[in-house]
Amino acid sequence: MKAGIVCSLLALTGASVAVEFEDPVRLKADTGPIRVESPGYASPSFADINGDGKKELLVGQFSRGNIWVYPQEPDGSFVSGAKLMVNGTTAEVPGVW
Amino acid sequence: MDLNEDGNPDILSGSYSRSGQDMAGLFQVLWGKGEGQFIEAQALNGTDDKPLIISVASEDDRVKKICTRPWAVDWDHDGDLDLLVGNFKGTFYLFEGEGKGKFKPESEVVMTEDGAELQIDGAHSDPMTVDWDGDGDLDVLSGTSKGGVQWAENTAGPDKVPSLKGFVSLIEGKGYPAMGALLSEEDLDGPSNSSRVWATDYNEDGKLDLLVGDNVTLTSPADGLSHDEFEKALKKWKKDIENLGEYPSSAGEKELQKWQKQMTQLYQSRGDILNEQRTGYVWLFLRK
Repeated sequence: MKAGIVCSLLALTGASVAVEFEDPVRLKADTGPIRVESPGYASPSFADINGDGKKELLVGQFSRGNIWVYPQEPDGSFVSGAKLMVNGTTAEVPGVW
Repeated sequence: MDLNEDGNPDILSGSYSRSGQDMAGLFQVLWGKGEGQFIEAQALNGTDDKPLIISVASEDDRVKKICTRPWAVDWDHDGDLDLLVGNFKGTFYLFEGEGKGKFKPESEVVMTEDGAELQIDGAHSDPMTVDWDGDGDLDVLSGTSKGGVQWAENTAGPDKVPSLKGFVSLIEGKGYPAMGALLSEEDLDGPSNSSRVWATDYNEDGKLDLLVGDNVTLTSPADGLSHDEFEKALKKWKKDIENLGEYPSSAGEKELQKWQKQMTQLYQSRGDILNEQRTGYVWLFLRK
């Protein structure tokens, strides 16, 4: 594995600069890689939604428009995710399928 | 983001399309009740009490109304949140906010400083605003159907309406693998296609990092097939596709239906050759 990658900023118009990132890593919870249900399309956001001072990882998915919530442990690791619930049922975003 | 300014974070989402009417992706909001509680998703309405829908000149532009993706930001620095939204076409529109989660019904297309429509390389624009280059103004980041991450630099300076350059690539996408290419979870070394982006200082080192969601199809030979049997069957399947040829758009109705039936059968028969598992992961790019 390379120690890091240099991602060229290849401008669609021709100009270029460079930003360096570490090799990408898949985020994991205690149960393994964080992944969404078929047919995929993971859409992450990272915000404190419950006001506890720690950010939660929210991952939207195509199937039923569900949203997974992964709380953080004090060391920054994620515990098992669960689908966001509203009024006792799984939250769904209409029109996503 | 706290869209209605009640002190509780809300969850904002786009959608592919409503059903039962002409295609249009609505904007959905789960209003926050505090302490991590939300109410059911509901369409975000404009000040006319109708669902917000991207304004297009004609129905020929309907792909600009679907596969929406919103981001709330005070774009014009007037003190309330506006909505910057993406779409299937890969362009961007702005709904002007009127405060407390209210937005004008009409949207305006977002242009670059050169007077062109702001557009990503690929489809499915996915806006997020953040001061990526640290010059005090908000730039636009976006995912794309091709995967990867793109950046449109704002050159306006702090507290001014953004003036954007065209998109450049921060992270190149891997695109779609060739049909039949085997791919296991262990083979993955970065995001695949249909990227969705979130910028945050993940490791709190003072530099913005990127979270990138993706879409990928894990592929393995169908159960019971040896490697040789798989290779042989795949070769035959590809040959059958090749022999069927391109969609005969100038052919008669009967010929078109015959072609479509054969293509559907062939497409479905790949399940005899391949196990396909569609999923999506979240990748972390720590900035050096």
